[in-house]
Amino acid sequence: MKSDAVLRIDNLGHDYGKFKVIENISLSIGAGKLSALIGPNGAGKTTFYNAISGKFPPTRGRVFLADEDVTGLPSHRIVDKGMCRSFQITNIFTHLTVQENVAIPLIIQQKKHFKMFGNAFKNGEMIHKVRQVLEQVGLADRGEQVVANLAYGDKRLVEMAIVLARVPRVILLDEPTAGMNPEETENMIRLIKKLASVSGTTFFITEHDMKVVFSLAEKIYVLHQGHLLAEGTPEEIRSNTEVQEAYLGRKVHA
Amino acid sequence: METLLLNTLNGLSWGMLLFLIAVGLTTVFGVMGILNFAHGSLFMLGAYLCMQSMQIFHSFWYGLLIGPLCVVAIGVIVEKYLLKRIYGRNVSYQLLLTFALLLILDDGVRMIWGSGYYVVEPPQILSGIITLFGQNYPVYRFFLILLGPVVGIALWSFFHFTRWGKTVRAASFDNVMAEGVGINVPLIYTGVFALGTWLAALGGALAAPLQSLNPSMGDKIIIQSFIVVVVGGMGSFPGAFAGALLIGLLESFGTVFAGRMQMAIPYILLAVILLFKPNGLFKKGV
Amino acid sequence: MALRAHLNIAGPAVLVLVLMIAPLLVPTYWVMILSEILILGLMAVSFNLLLGYSGLLSFGQGAFFGIGAYSAALMLQAGYTNLFLILLVGMLLALIIAAVVGFFSVKLDEIFFAMITLGFGMLLFSIAHNWRDVTRGSDGLPVFVLPTLNFFGAEVSFYSPIHMYYLVFSVVLVAIVLLWLIVHSPFGLVLRATRENKQRVSFVGGKVNLLRIVAFTISGTFTGLAGVLFCLFNSMATPEFMHWSFSAKPVIMSIIGGTGVFLGPLFGAAIFFFLEQIIIRFTENWMLFLGVVLVLIVIYFPQGVLGTLKSKLLKGEPK
Repeated sequence: MKSDAVLRIDNLGHDYGKFKVIENISLSIGAGKLSALIGPNGAGKTTFYNAISGKFPPTRGRVFLADEDVTGLPSHRIVDKGMCRSFQITNIFTHLTVQENVAIPLIIQQKKHFKMFGNAFKNGEMIHKVRQVLEQVGLADRGEQVVANLAYGDKRLVEMAIVLARVPRVILLDEPTAGMNPEETENMIRLIKKLASVSGTTFFITEHDMKVVFSLAEKIYVLHQGHLLAEGTPEEIRSNTEVQEAYLGRKVHA
Repeated sequence: METLLLNTLNGLSWGMLLFLIAVGLTTVFGVMGILNFAHGSLFMLGAYLCMQSMQIFHSFWYGLLIGPLCVVAIGVIVEKYLLKRIYGRNVSYQLLLTFALLLILDDGVRMIWGSGYYVVEPPQILSGIITLFGQNYPVYRFFLILLGPVVGIALWSFFHFTRWGKTVRAASFDNVMAEGVGINVPLIYTGVFALGTWLAALGGALAAPLQSLNPSMGDKIIIQSFIVVVVGGMGSFPGAFAGALLIGLLESFGTVFAGRMQMAIPYILLAVILLFKPNGLFKKGV
Repeated sequence: MALRAHLNIAGPAVLVLVLMIAPLLVPTYWVMILSEILILGLMAVSFNLLLGYSGLLSFGQGAFFGIGAYSAALMLQAGYTNLFLILLVGMLLALIIAAVVGFFSVKLDEIFFAMITLGFGMLLFSIAHNWRDVTRGSDGLPVFVLPTLNFFGAEVSFYSPIHMYYLVFSVVLVAIVLLWLIVHSPFGLVLRATRENKQRVSFVGGKVNLLRIVAFTISGTFTGLAGVLFCLFNSMATPEFMHWSFSAKPVIMSIIGGTGVFLGPLFGAAIFFFLEQIIIRFTENWMLFLGVVLVLIVIYFPQGVLGTLKSKLLKGEPK
């Protein structure tokens, strides 16, 4: 079956022992779209992400990246195929500098991670590329700083830069604004919007914060108790009574 | 047939001793997350202090009682003033600090008692020989074989039926949560380390009539106990029991089928377990 | 900025210079101590590729040291006296065994990694200890004839401690320069990234296990080289090199010197031997004092002596 979807998921399911955490999830995301997966805590969002990004193979179902079956591949292979993810809890190289953080995915992409001689930063192309990525996220002036000394919001930006450095076709962001203050959140929303509109990269994010989801996503998928409850534009989701009952109800009308 | 019986008995008695030591090691690891390199030295110290108390009180039983308690006092000081400072630090610092303790204790004993060998006689009542299927076997070893399960059951009951024991088990699952529900975690750590120390020292005191005492007698047993703890599953109580018996029997039977190379068997077992069942034989889940 | 640059260039330059002229100024006994420091220092620096740069605590490093030593002793016994051949074969054997041990071990982390490397190390120790036909068991293999070197037509032997010192010094210098290059290469950077966060490396496309196997193999190879040198220096290979208590030495030296600084473990080795020399003048119980020093360092100087010094000196300097 050919499709123009860049990420297609077929009947995905995952069990922990006898417990079915997610079940029967099918969706397909077109190129360049900004989609979001929402759902209350425990709905199975993170399990879903882990199963499609190679943290562990899903129990059932298939994952296609631009029609290529990537189900069950280890994470590093899935990254090579063009899908890269961020994590809910900041997942970066804390004791390295900002530019080293960004250089690592670049070195790996260029297959230079077994190169034993020479310095990664002696090469003009590398410096240029690192600078480019840092400018995209607005950290260009902090390249030399050790990540541990950055503010929380900036650490999240470093993670974004690490993901962007691999220039993936699909970017999965697991709660990109988790733990941020309103200003940092605002900043992150603007950044994601800008990146999505400029690069043509496909974004698929999970979010907790409804304000973020509705101001970002073109299409929203609602996960409830491990099942896909609804999908549609923000307007459609807003007016979907099932969703309101299951999840949004109080928040929308409060 | 005779060698079979003899080897089984030897394996069991050594295994029971190993169990006493390994169960302390595994409990300390399970609750505090520290793999104590000096555990074997506490065992050795137990043997020496038992011997010393015997010389003072002229009774093995006093030695068995007092020797280990003196070691516990040392253990409590170590926990309160040294280990306490490295909880949560990288594993290499924990291993190195406890390794430093090993150096201090081994050399300290060498300083006090010299590097010569000491021999401890078993008490009168246990010093005879029993004849079983035509085989002579020392009563003292039977005593060890029986004592192992007794101590095991006592400990298991303590952890499962007493309030103290249950609290310790709760703390070993999640010490942040334990702190949240009002459990005094630092006190538990001290208590558990004291218990672990006591078990090691008791093992040492019990081993004293079995082997000659020298300052490096802990070095062999610490590596064997590491293997027992890994094979049984780090922090697992039944695992320590099964692992200890397994290693004890392998040690006595190994010579029969592997000759001089029996020395290598426990290490092969260790590697195989870590590769295929890294959580050990008796621990479920991740 | 200026101070850091000065330290990075002038420090090693002064060190090399001092090590070059030292044997001309100190008594023979100290020349031999210096050789020992350099050999064990090389072992510790290559060990630190694991602990400091990959975050892996190997407790079986002695095995590779022993393999280097036994390989040299056996070759010399068999009549091979070409120095380069002996160095190369020792490294090659250590490389092969390290690749195998690494292949099995790197899946594990932390205490489990320490335990499995300890297990493999002791397995090799058991073999060396019991395979008497080849290794002569606990007696060890003595070396009677040392290799010679054809130096621009002149035959150089290494029976004098000073010649031996310069041999050790040159080999260790080359090895440490190579290790420095590796640590500062793209590979070295990605390796440090796996120490920081192996999940992230894997989720940007890096093969963490393969990176670790390569690091483990390099570390084992250079440790093997140190073993070859020690066998020549010591005229003996014994199973003790492979015992876990010997494997603890590079751990101790690295932590004393500082795992976060490239030359920290070498300094650690120097401190280790100097302390030993000083303390054994007063008491036989050097181990007890070593234990006390270790306790103090672990608790009060977690960055090690050189690490603490460096961060004190560079306080306020931007990186």
